[in-house]
Amino acid sequence: MSGSAIAVAGLTVAFGNFVALNNLTFEACYGQVHGVIGPNGAGKTTLLDVLTGKSAPRQGSVHLDGTIDLGRMTEVQRALAGIGRKFQKPSVFEALTIAENLDLALRVHRNSLLREVLARRADKDAAIDRLLQTVGLADRRDTLAGVLSHGQKQWLEIGMVLVQDPKVLLLDEPVAGMSDEETAHTASLVQSLRSPDRSIIVVEHDMDFVEQVADTVTVLHEGATLFEGSMAAARADHRVIEVYIGR
Amino acid sequence: MSSVFDRTASAITGLLLVMLIALLLLGHGMPVYLVNLAGQVMCFVLLAMAVDLMWGSAGILSLGHGLFFAIGGYIAAMHLLRTAFAATHVLPDFIQFMGNGGFPGWWALFDSSLFTALAVLVVPALAAFVFGYVSFRSRVNGVYFSIITQALTYTAMLLMFRNDTGFGGNNGMTGFHAIAGLPAGGGDAGVLLASLATAAVLVCLIGGRTLLASRFGRLLAAIRDDEPRLRFLGYNTLWLKLVAWCLSASVAGVAGALYVPQVGIINPSLLDPALSLEVAVWVAVGGRGGLCGAVLGATLINLLRSWMAASAPLLWPFVLSLLVLLVVLALPNGLLDMRNRSRGWMHSLLPAVGRPRP
Ligand SMILES: Nc1ncnc2c1ncn2[C@@H]1O[C@H](COP(=O)(O)OP(=O)(O)OP(=O)(O)O)[C@@H](O)[C@H]1O
Ligand SMILES: [Mg+2]
Repeated sequence: MSGSAIAVAGLTVAFGNFVALNNLTFEACYGQVHGVIGPNGAGKTTLLDVLTGKSAPRQGSVHLDGTIDLGRMTEVQRALAGIGRKFQKPSVFEALTIAENLDLALRVHRNSLLREVLARRADKDAAIDRLLQTVGLADRRDTLAGVLSHGQKQWLEIGMVLVQDPKVLLLDEPVAGMSDEETAHTASLVQSLRSPDRSIIVVEHDMDFVEQVADTVTVLHEGATLFEGSMAAARADHRVIEVYIGR
Repeated sequence: MSSVFDRTASAITGLLLVMLIALLLLGHGMPVYLVNLAGQVMCFVLLAMAVDLMWGSAGILSLGHGLFFAIGGYIAAMHLLRTAFAATHVLPDFIQFMGNGGFPGWWALFDSSLFTALAVLVVPALAAFVFGYVSFRSRVNGVYFSIITQALTYTAMLLMFRNDTGFGGNNGMTGFHAIAGLPAGGGDAGVLLASLATAAVLVCLIGGRTLLASRFGRLLAAIRDDEPRLRFLGYNTLWLKLVAWCLSASVAGVAGALYVPQVGIINPSLLDPALSLEVAVWVAVGGRGGLCGAVLGATLINLLRSWMAASAPLLWPFVLSLLVLLVVLALPNGLLDMRNRSRGWMHSLLPAVGRPRP
């Protein structure tokens, strides 16, 4: 697969009188890692909210694969259609163990809730074990998620999204609160997740991380696109320096 | 999630089994008031478990379970009035006053014990389904949901107070003749009902804990922790919540259906919001989650109340409030917390004691 994974056109999102996204047009393609950067409050998280159905736009359209109108789908339908998201604030089920978190995240019967609930645990174990290795939590399988450090929760949540094998992977600040070593590890993980059948959108404030993983970046400012191109070009662009990097 | 039979659950299951066997073997020799007390407390325990099933696992607090309890109770009473009429051919007063010359035709359905038993399980669940579907679908959550459940019970109470609703108005329904062939109000019927209620508590405790330890239970815990996250993993939480909610309503219905024959009357006071509110207090005092706390809390408070009803009834509201305050301050998750706290206290006094065994 290649071509348009997510296509956003003329998107406006407002909270009361405050316009968070202003007539935004944006595209992310399969086989690519797309970075989204910009100052606090630029609307990065709001963009992901619209893609996943958490916020409704006032105007504009969002399409998956160029043809599927996401605007008509619920959050649940979008998740089942292959849009996976890691939230900015780590969102894991604290009362459950790491393995139990992954067990819930792994869907083996996407079109039947009943069969999913009744699925044998054994059917999921192999995939869960593999994921635990990938995110480096294999020795903490039965630890309650609530006692994990911030960085480990980030990893667990990334694992929960990965176990769904999403075709559109949305990562909101995946390396916030991680050490340099953990950040490097996450960068190589994101690189390894590249696939012609997957589009990855990374929202991050860590420029070096974005430069390492992203093919193209979009710089958002006050809800609109300020710049689009390579990270190196973004770093040299005077408008980007002025509103974001230079500060 | 803890296992189905942790230490507390095993102890409670054991005690309940002993109680059930004692009722079955020795019940007929026991004082009737004691048997009745045990039976009624077990019904309240069942009601508390129904509330904990939602509150402790999914974090959804119902302040209106009196509604489902009363539905079960009214259904049982309808069956008992029909069988009483078949035996005595005397119409209940309220039916005579309605002036239609007899029971409404559809009451004949309740001649069948099997139909009645099914209705006790299904009607509360149906009522819960309609209300739950509307509320959960519009994403009514947290305290708003609790308040609406309370309002619902209140509305039902006002409705049932009216004589022309057809269920006896504020006098309610009474005058039961026999329960499963045993004279109503007699010792044998008391033993039967208390045994049934105890058995129901056992089934609900073991079945409920098995359910909570399953993936379904983990999904409920996930709803409590972070419902949006679960939705973004592709789970339609509406159906998960509805299943738990309807199940919980059925359990409350069974509790009501076993309670009403024991007290010999049902009237709209079971729909008083204060009762529904108090159930939440029993669960909070016992400790939320896992159903054991609900058993403990409902048992202790109801025993205490019945004891005080004889000795100092006026003091009861103050004692209850004091109890709640103490629990909130000292044991935030109820009496179940004592397990951990007492270990902590002992630990600080005698460092060698209470250390986890290897
Ligand atoms: N639900 C909401 N109600 C009101 N205002 C909101 C809501 N969600 C976001 N906003 C506002 O919209 C603006 C954009 O927020 P958004 O979270 O998208 O920023 P961001 O680019 O992700 O910033 P950050 O880098 O700090 O995460 C902010 O000013 C925020 O306060
Ligand atoms: Mg953000």
